[in-house]
Parts: sequence; structure tokens; C-alpha cells
Amino acid sequence: MEPERYAAPHPIESGQLDRRGFLRQATGGTVAIAVASILPAGCTADYPQSEGDGVELASLSVKEYAVVRAAAEAMLEGVPVAPAEVATAIDRELAAVGDPVRSDLKSVLRLLEHLTMLSGHRRTFTELQPAERLSYLRGWATSRLSLRRGAYQAIRGFVHYFAWNRPETRQLTGFSGPLREHVPVTLARSVDYGEVR
Amino acid sequence: MIIQGTKRTADVREKADVVIVGTGAGGGTLGAYLSDRGWNVVMLEKGGFFRAEDFTQLEHHAMAEFNGRRGLDATADNAVFLNYAEAVGGCTVHYWGDSFRTPHDRLARWRTEHGIDWMTPSELDPHFEAIEQDLGIHTTPENLLNENNRLVRAGCEALGIEGAPPPTARVGCIGCGWTQFGCAYNAKTSQLITTIPRISRAGGRIYSDARADRILVEQGRAVGVEGVLLRRGTAETLARIRVEADHVVLAGGALGTAELLLRSLPEEPAVGRRFYLNPHFFVWADFGRAIDNVSGIPCAYVVHGFREVRRAQNGGYAGGGYIMLTNHQSPGIAAAMLSSLGSEHTDRMKRWHQLGSVMSVIDETHPGQVFLGKDGLRRTRFNVKGVDQLKAIDFLKQASRIFLAAGAREVWIPDVYGTVIRNEADIENRIRLRSVQPNAQFCAGSHLVGTAPIGSDAGDSFAGPSGEAHRVRGLYVADGAALPGSVSVDPSETIMGAARWIAASLHDRAGRAGA
Repeated sequence: MEPERYAAPHPIESGQLDRRGFLRQATGGTVAIAVASILPAGCTADYPQSEGDGVELASLSVKEYAVVRAAAEAMLEGVPVAPAEVATAIDRELAAVGDPVRSDLKSVLRLLEHLTMLSGHRRTFTELQPAERLSYLRGWATSRLSLRRGAYQAIRGFVHYFAWNRPETRQLTGFSGPLREHVPVTLARSVDYGEVR
Repeated sequence: MIIQGTKRTADVREKADVVIVGTGAGGGTLGAYLSDRGWNVVMLEKGGFFRAEDFTQLEHHAMAEFNGRRGLDATADNAVFLNYAEAVGGCTVHYWGDSFRTPHDRLARWRTEHGIDWMTPSELDPHFEAIEQDLGIHTTPENLLNENNRLVRAGCEALGIEGAPPPTARVGCIGCGWTQFGCAYNAKTSQLITTIPRISRAGGRIYSDARADRILVEQGRAVGVEGVLLRRGTAETLARIRVEADHVVLAGGALGTAELLLRSLPEEPAVGRRFYLNPHFFVWADFGRAIDNVSGIPCAYVVHGFREVRRAQNGGYAGGGYIMLTNHQSPGIAAAMLSSLGSEHTDRMKRWHQLGSVMSVIDETHPGQVFLGKDGLRRTRFNVKGVDQLKAIDFLKQASRIFLAAGAREVWIPDVYGTVIRNEADIENRIRLRSVQPNAQFCAGSHLVGTAPIGSDAGDSFAGPSGEAHRVRGLYVADGAALPGSVSVDPSETIMGAARWIAASLHDRAGRAGA
């Protein structure tokens, strides 16, 4: 076999990314950063969803929670998991994982909420009907801008993962659960670690 | 002794012959070699210590507890999901156990392009043999091939494509199917149940929940490591830890080792500049009936027939440059991989139990980068581009052919366009460049290597062929970061073999450390 040559390594480019690094990395990112930086944070009066759900937020703002919840509501058609449960799980997970995962997703949520005007909508994402949200998301999915596709995959991946990892969905997938839920574990070998403190 | 940092509140000071940062394929192997020969070993592991009874086989537990950044890490543009473990035992806790010796063409490349003279079969084979003996590595037996594996094999045989069950690291496996969430049966012979207990019983101190933050260097020589002990689950700092040692070995994986070096030795020119991950694209096949793609070993059949790049008469790319692994994923992860939405996505998930799947291991030409952002956080950049995109497209086409030959009703390219393949015409007409553009479909990387490479050129590598840093004496790298490039197959046994060679070299030169 004639091995291919390696491509030249990257030049050193440390220090290029700030907390909105995700945006900066994608086509259209500079404009998106400018937009995201002037977007209002939102308040409970505008975004009452978390209060209505009785959720004490750990990492998301009331507005960000509302966006995740609205996305889940639109995306999870026929899935027996409440959008509020998905949004809450994501809020908890982001609190645990911290930055940069948390800051990146927060940037995505702000853009998702306010860039609806670019798709011809006069209302924000959370104000759209679920079918309109789906249509809007599909536009992001197939956008020529990698920024939009990246944002789409981020919100879609989070919502789908935190919905379909729940046991309530097993009836739909036919997943009977892992083996140890059905068969007691017999170890192939015992392991002596010595002292464990 | 295993010392769980999450249970300590007082600062710790240690002295040792060698401190090893990382406990996975590289660190565990090297640590056991030295410990067996009387070295006083201290190991630091950022992740937690888990035993068989802790592995629930539930995806959200596994991802959150011992996957890096709780299983949510990705490149800076979100285009490549990064799959790596942080736990005592490192990535061997969640790997599938595929155990390949380094392909000879790869060793030849590393000798000629990077000046690593010892990268020869005759030099490495004794180490591979010892590792294979230690871990009980053997060819995957027929009873651990589930239906997906057998269907892929049938498709390959129908098309005359080379493939085989891989060598696997497990003894007494019952084929539960959830090896990637930690082996609940102590059957997969990860470092967690092989080298780590051996080191512990021999007097080594293995600290879990211990993050190394800085390499201590005095007068051009590494003299230890400083870090913190963390509360598991929150990463709250509980105490400080300082280990002084005659030798410092970095084995925290391609990301962990690079991050520690970027913080400690920011002037090092080669750190983080070549980040290989063997991009994984995925193809799913609906067989229109329930198939068993849960039991057995998820990857019990490997398609080798496309590993070598084929060239056209004009020298251009004509195909290949990847292998395929059979693949299964639990529902949550599968859902995240399928790029559809709404009722279409729900409909696809309802067919989860009738899906077969394969994934690519692309032997990439273009590496990515690991670096620190302005906020001080570790970031990565990786673009599947140029000829690597052509390899991805070729994979999607060949995988589709294999599944159609195996009787699949339809094949899904899980892109944002909802591409469905039902016949050869679809393969030719529908699988296009757009499907492999960044974020057009789920792409992952789990064979992370190359970020602190060894080599003879001090301007192009971090460490010399012996594993010792060019510019800091007593500092070694012995994990995936040390490899000069993509292995083109699962790199775990290559990492173990290289780490064992570096350990033997260190032992031969230093004798018992400190002496």
C-alpha cells in the first residue's frame, strides 16, 4: 500500500475562541455574535413556562428554558415524554457539565428564538405554532450556512437524546431494557483492588 | 491502593519514582510494567473509580458518569462529536474491546516520516504478545455475533468484500451488548480490571477524581505534577495534590495530555497541532422485521476491504481509505444520530428494533487541532474536508451496497436531507457531497490520537522516539497523544504496545527509578 501523506499540521492558533466560540467557528458567525450580544435576556413575564412547570432552573434562563421546551414540543411528535421533562433534564445536565457545552447551547437558544425574522416570521420561535417551529427548524437543518446547521444539530441532538433515553419510550422502540434489568449479574471474575479508600 | 479524591478534603503530597497522569490503555500498561519491576508508582486520574456493580448499562448514566464532558463534547463548530472516557481505566472502560496490532504499513510510515526506528514488527511483537496474553485477546467467537453482525458479513460475502470478526479483549463474555457503558460482568479485560488492580496491590497509589493542572519543571527537568482533587459529578475542588517524582509520564489521552501540556508548556510547538480521530459516519438499514442488534458484541465484524486507498490511473482518489465496524446504539444515542424531525423521526425510532448499522473509521489525511480558547477552556477543531470527504462518501455508498445485498428494505443516510437508498441507482444519484458537509449529519470521533506526537524532528514532534520530551528531561508521553498519526484501526492495542515499549525503554535506561 502506498500510504497517503499527512497533510500539513495546523499552525498554532491558541486563544482564538471566547465563550461564543461555537458561533465564531461557523460561517456567518461574526454576524451571529453581534446579534446574540444585543438580544434581551428575557424575564418571567415574557417567558412564564418554567414558572408554570414549577421548575427551579439550574443553568438556563427562563427564556432559554422556554426555547428548549418549545423545541421539544415541536420535535417530539407522538413521543410519550413531556416537553417540560426534556427541558428540565437539559437544564440539569448543562448545570453539571458547565462550559463550554453550556455556553455554546445557550448561544444556540438565543439565536433560535430571535432569528425567525430571517425566515419570514414576525414572531419569535416560542411564539410560533409547533408546525411553524418545525418548518423553521427544517430551514436551519438544510441551510447553506454551517452555523445554522450546527445550531440545528445541537438543539435537535439534545432534545432527542434527553427524550429517547427515557424508559417511557421503550414501548415505541421495542427496546426491552439492558440485560441486567432482566437477568441477575454473575461476574466472570472477581477483582481484588487491594485497599480502596 | 485506590484513593478516591472525591472522598478527601485534605491536601495531599506524594513522592514516587514515577507519576503517571492517566490510567487508560497507555497509563495502565506502562504503570503495570514499571510496578511489576519494583517502581514506586503514583497515578492520577481525572475521572472517577467505578466497579462492575456501578455499571447500570443505562446510557444516560454511562454518558454522564464516565464520558468526557458527560458525553456532550464536540468540536468547536459542533460538527464532530467527541467520544472519550474519563474514569479509572480510561477509554478501555467504554471501548468495544477491538484489539488490532498496528498495521505494518503504518509502522513503516512512522519509521520513514517520523524517524521512529523502533516501530518495527520485530520490536513491537513481543510487547503485543505480552499484552494479548495479559488481556486474553482472541478472535471474537461466533456466538458473540448478533444478527446485525451476521447480516453485514452476509452482505460482504455476497459482494466479495473482505471482512472478519476482530480480535477482542474479553474473557467469559456473555454478550450482554452494553460493553460501551462499562462491563457489568468483569468480562471485558479493560485496564480497570487488569493492570489497575495489579498496580494497586503492588503498592501503587491510584488517585481517582484527581485532575493534573501543571507539570512541575525545574532546570529543564520534570520533577512532578500539581493538581486538584474533585468532587465527582460537580467538579468542585476539594483539595490540592502535589506529586514529586523522578519521572513524569503523560497518559491522559489525546485531549487530556494536550490540555495539560498547553497549560504547562505553552511554547511547545507541536502540541495540539495534529489531532486525529478517525471520523465515524453512520449508515442505518431497515430490514422490515425485528433483528437482534442488541446482544453479543456491538462490533463483532469488521469490514477490511476498503482500508487501502485505491487510485485512479491519473493518481486521483478512486475509493477506500477506511474500515467499517458493525454498530449498535441505545435508543437515546441513536435518536441523537438520526437527523430527522417530528413525525418522521418518531417513525424512524419506532423501527429501532429492526435496524442494522455500520460506522466508518476513516483514515483521515487532514488532522484537526486542540487548543485553549480565550476563556481558558480546551477546544478542538476538526473539519472533514478534501479527500476525507470523498472517503466518507465512498463509505456511505459501499455500506449501502452491503446492506442492500444483505436484504435490507431500505438504507438510511442519516443526513438532514432524509436520504433513503433502495437500489443501486439511489446510491449513485442520492449520495452526494452535501451529505458529508459539516453538520449535515451526525459525525463522531473516538480514536483520538496525535496531539503530542513522538518523532525525531524536534520542530515537528513533542517528544523523541523514546517518548521523552525533546526539551524537558524526565517528561514522557505514552498514550494516544504520542502516536504520530491515525492508526487506521482501533488504536487501543497500538497505544498499549507503544506504552509498553516506552516503559521497557525507560526501565532499561533508568533501572529502578531514583537509583
